Amino acid sequence: MFAALEPYIQFALKAMAREATYRFEVFTSIGSLAVRVYLLRVVWVALYAHNAAPDGVLLHQIITYSAVALLMGLILDIDQTSLLHDKLHDGSIVVDFMKPISVPLYLFADGTGEVLFHGALIVPSLAIALLIVHIDVPSAAVFGAFALSFLLGYLVGFCLNFTLNCIAFWTLEISAVQLMLTWVTDLLGGGIVPLLFFPAGFQQAIASLPFASMYSTPLLIYIGKITPDHYLQAMGLQVFWIAVLGVIATIIWRAGARRVVVQGG
Amino acid sequence: MRDVYAQYWRINLLTTLEYRTNFLLWFGFTIVYHGTAIAALWVMLTTFPSMNGWDFRNMAFLYALWMVAHALNATFFSTVGEIPQWIRDGEFDRLLVRPLDELFQVISTPGAIFPDELLLALAVLVAAVAANHLAVTAGFVVLVALVVTGGALIDLSIALLISTAAFWFVQVDALRWIVLQLEQEFTRYPLSIYSRGVRLLLAFVIPFGFMNYFPASFLLHKTDNGLGLPMAVGVLTPLVGIVFLVVAYAFWRFGLQRYQGVGH
Repeated sequence: MFAALEPYIQFALKAMAREATYRFEVFTSIGSLAVRVYLLRVVWVALYAHNAAPDGVLLHQIITYSAVALLMGLILDIDQTSLLHDKLHDGSIVVDFMKPISVPLYLFADGTGEVLFHGALIVPSLAIALLIVHIDVPSAAVFGAFALSFLLGYLVGFCLNFTLNCIAFWTLEISAVQLMLTWVTDLLGGGIVPLLFFPAGFQQAIASLPFASMYSTPLLIYIGKITPDHYLQAMGLQVFWIAVLGVIATIIWRAGARRVVVQGG
Repeated sequence: MRDVYAQYWRINLLTTLEYRTNFLLWFGFTIVYHGTAIAALWVMLTTFPSMNGWDFRNMAFLYALWMVAHALNATFFSTVGEIPQWIRDGEFDRLLVRPLDELFQVISTPGAIFPDELLLALAVLVAAVAANHLAVTAGFVVLVALVVTGGALIDLSIALLISTAAFWFVQVDALRWIVLQLEQEFTRYPLSIYSRGVRLLLAFVIPFGFMNYFPASFLLHKTDNGLGLPMAVGVLTPLVGIVFLVVAYAFWRFGLQRYQGVGH
């Protein structure tokens, strides 16, 4: 069992080493995070100056919410499957198909390595964020539920990115769509403004999309707006989206993989 | 020089038409980028009545002024931001031996730009002016035109300053990135919400405040601009733009004279 996984662990380690060479990006992502944390503080303070607590969300809760959302973004904004897009562009995907490995698993391992490296950036980023704002710390049980929900949200994001990159089997160019997806996810997932603040009609429409599973659900668990008796329901919905998007991704992957020969590289 | 520039736009347009799908994609991209930014402001200001006295309509006007100025610069002078890349590749050295001003050559290099963002920005501006019930007199139109032109010059000057730094430091991407982020995110809100140091920085050091906040405060008849300056400073944007461009161009000439190539 372990021996079968060994190559994929190596793929993940290699991806981490590759990411570590982009020192400049590390520097800017931490610097930019500090700027955003400052910005979220002044924006929410200015808004709360004239309104006590809409929907029962207190100022310290919203600051915690937004700061944790930014830290989650360090991981969720990464396109873990961009390797697929690159490999379709230069044609090297053909070679991977000849290797005795599962290509989707290889991409998952590579993406996970990339994510683990950027995940490590959370530590210095958190340290800097704490200089600028106060972040509430929930009980261990709530934090555990948050971590689990975040993991589920990550898998939803993986399926979305994977599906999108599979579209490159047909169109080759998807970087614009990729960025658009990131912005839409940030907004409709509740990463910028909590979904509680959206007008009621919009909230219902957004609830029927998968984006809330990525930011909103883990964050509302973190600040206690989703109480323990609703955990099962909230995470059930996340699992539902993983299943639905997983099936869609599989179908598109299979159809795309068959086209590879035609594309020519 | 005018013929060169006309040729430039002809080639630009032809290149864009060649990649029609890409063009449509990037237009969608522009709409989604600004759409999500404005939507986030809208959600905030449906929940909260105002931000330091600015409601959503005011904020949309603030955003529109910045957007038009930024799009003007991005449409006409986008290649200025590519200078560091050309210096790294050694491409830039080619411009030095031609009998035309180097900056003009940079600006007249086709960049496959279609004015989609500018068109969208003008549409947002018209909508924001209507939403704020501003009296559209001839004076108002001239003032807004001067303000966005001045704003575009500020934007261009900043790009030129950063690109000039590439004569000494080959890698300036980090600097550009941070300044761009300051610009995009800090121009979205009224300057008065920031701490005093940041307000001063955005007014006098990197004068993004003159791109939209000061003129918007004046045009919307606000009574405070966060720094206790007379409200009429809002009309100084064109002047700030010209002064800043002169400073940036002087720095550019200075850098150019000392530039000795990166060793190709």
